[in-house]
Amino acid sequence: MNKTLLIARSEYLRRVLTKGFVLGVLLAPVGMVLLIALPLLTSLISSDDGERRVAVLDESGQLYQAVAEAVPERFAVERAAAPLDSLRAQVLDERLDMAIVLPPSLLTGTGDATAYTRAGGGLAQFDDIRSGVRDAVRGVRLREVGAPAEVQAVLDERPGLQSVTVTDDGDAADGAFVASAIGYVSGFVIYFLVFIYGAMVMRGVIEEKQNRIVEVMASSVRPFELLMGKVLGIGAVGLTQIALWTALGAVVLAALGPLLAAFAGPPAAAGPGAPPADLPFDVGAITALLTPGFLLILVLCFLGGYLFYAALFAAVGSAVEQESDAQALTIPVTLPAIVPMLFLFPMLEQPDSSLSVVLSILPPFSTVLLPVRVAVTDVPFWQIALSLGLLAAAFVGAIWVAARVYRVGILMYGKKATFRDLAKWVRTA
Amino acid sequence: MALALRLENVTKRYDKTLAVDDVSFTAEPGRLFGLLGPNGAGKSSTIRMITNITTPDSGSVTLGGEPVGPASQARMGYLPEERGLYKKMKVGEQLVYLAQLKGLAAPDAERAVREWLERFGAADWYGKPVGDLSKGMQQKVQFVSTVAHDPELCIFDEPFSGLDPLNAEVLQETIVDLRARGKTVVFASHRMEQVERLCDDLCLISAGRVVLRGTLPEVKGRYGRDTATVEFDGADGWIDRLVEAGAMRVLSRSNGRAELRLGPGTRPNDVLGAALAAGVEVSQFGLHAPPLTEIFRMAVEAGESAPPAEPVPAP
Repeated sequence: MNKTLLIARSEYLRRVLTKGFVLGVLLAPVGMVLLIALPLLTSLISSDDGERRVAVLDESGQLYQAVAEAVPERFAVERAAAPLDSLRAQVLDERLDMAIVLPPSLLTGTGDATAYTRAGGGLAQFDDIRSGVRDAVRGVRLREVGAPAEVQAVLDERPGLQSVTVTDDGDAADGAFVASAIGYVSGFVIYFLVFIYGAMVMRGVIEEKQNRIVEVMASSVRPFELLMGKVLGIGAVGLTQIALWTALGAVVLAALGPLLAAFAGPPAAAGPGAPPADLPFDVGAITALLTPGFLLILVLCFLGGYLFYAALFAAVGSAVEQESDAQALTIPVTLPAIVPMLFLFPMLEQPDSSLSVVLSILPPFSTVLLPVRVAVTDVPFWQIALSLGLLAAAFVGAIWVAARVYRVGILMYGKKATFRDLAKWVRTA
Repeated sequence: MALALRLENVTKRYDKTLAVDDVSFTAEPGRLFGLLGPNGAGKSSTIRMITNITTPDSGSVTLGGEPVGPASQARMGYLPEERGLYKKMKVGEQLVYLAQLKGLAAPDAERAVREWLERFGAADWYGKPVGDLSKGMQQKVQFVSTVAHDPELCIFDEPFSGLDPLNAEVLQETIVDLRARGKTVVFASHRMEQVERLCDDLCLISAGRVVLRGTLPEVKGRYGRDTATVEFDGADGWIDRLVEAGAMRVLSRSNGRAELRLGPGTRPNDVLGAALAAGVEVSQFGLHAPPLTEIFRMAVEAGESAPPAEPVPAP
């Protein structure tokens, strides 16, 4: 067997056949889901933590009944008998959660209601009280001016906005939202995977140098074979992870789709504090976007970006003896990688601006931004081809430079290498 | 298939330092070749060129008449002074991997690795991670990695460092056995007593240059039998008196035993006479060539005082 392949296979198996890898593949998505679901869950839980006692000091004399009816049920509303000072004291020693003062000026449209609470009450409660007070004031005033019930009904309506994306294949409901979300997630996933696996290459190189096995390896294979074997082996680990995630995602989506639909189906099921009855996206819209072509671009961008950064990371790793020494040298590698993250939102908003077009073609930024742009807009084929072609040229160049640094660096011990040294190694190697 | 290793006028420069300066020697099959020198003399730089990790700036390194390269790498085994293995890999898996990189097919590699581990009484380490082994055990594993692919040329850099006497003995027997099987063995060390015990030929380098070269008897023969070993019972004040008089130098001295290098005008009888006159009981008195350590010291000093390498006859 070819030595590069032998090395790649060993590097691959050494990493994939570990509990850490299996756990990482399984737990990372679980962690991500938890990260999204946890705030939702806690808000559900915290809304059930008993009633909030609210005293209403109605100085207008006309609003109490309407407010008491308009605020959600989890507020236990009572009419305040005491003056404001004593209400404040009750809030302080926790006999009350909130005191609301409704001044007469509310009825003339010139004043504001005031809510007194202890620190740390959370913002959601104010939203509920605010809209309750608004509805109550509006209702009382409408009645006062003698507005007909039809006007009141019209004002109570809450029409929504449905988004539909028009494509050659037909209309897709909620397309814009889903496309942005997918573009955003794709950009992040590529960014993280490229970095996780690039850094893994660097650690591998440092480890070989640190425990001195590199001397034995160099007496058996050419440094370039060792470098490429390692880069390809670890890249294959990354691809395995992507493949497993895709498979896992497909299974979860297939299983969860009907479940979500059932959950969202009967609007009556949505209790207070539950997510809005209509989900902000359509499961069908996701699957419509995740075409084989898009997935192929995703994989190619990961591979291109990975090869580019992994080569540079390997060069840095070969120049140091400990991971802690690598920090200063990795900055020039990691800094340009942050750039696409800064342009992620402008790219989602204006995917066809000339800046977006350039960034999606220019390596190494294109590794993150091309998939983002492809997700949210129709990118001409020539731009995709040019972008991937330039990316290929960039990683070939990066590997060429890295190989020259690497073959000198792995045998250097003792002194800390500087950029000047690295530049010299590239010239003289 | 026996392959001689030949270096001709090999020079290697790093930046401005001349690490290896016009070094030539030949290591013959079936013989143990000692490459000696103090730390920083250029031993490791020389070995790196032999193993084709680096290439000489000028001169040539050949194995069996062919310039070293990827093909010759497969026929060499190299045990570096700084040992290292993949800590998380299992012993067997790692050894098979390293042997495969030397060109062995997987089944052959596995068979050879099992045989060698068996020979070192380490068969049950096969499935253990290297990091779980003791340092001495790891040394043995690394030794196996050097010889498992049955190389024609074996290079051992300080093979015994860090080994207990028992394990050193096992290793030494194995090295002698490799020589008996017609392998070319290069042994780099600064531990002279080991070299003296094992090597057939030696080459001493200092500051990148060859300062001494030849077979062991040849090298020793160049110095007279001017060293005396005395074993005695009693006070050793007579030694100090002779040293103060400039008649000799003490090479080593312990309770009741001394190794003495006689000065130019000093006869062995003078030493023995002084000992007897001091009233000590002499149980043994022997004359021999200076130990290699002493020859090493003189050669290095001579090399430093006379910059152009002294002409030495090729072995």
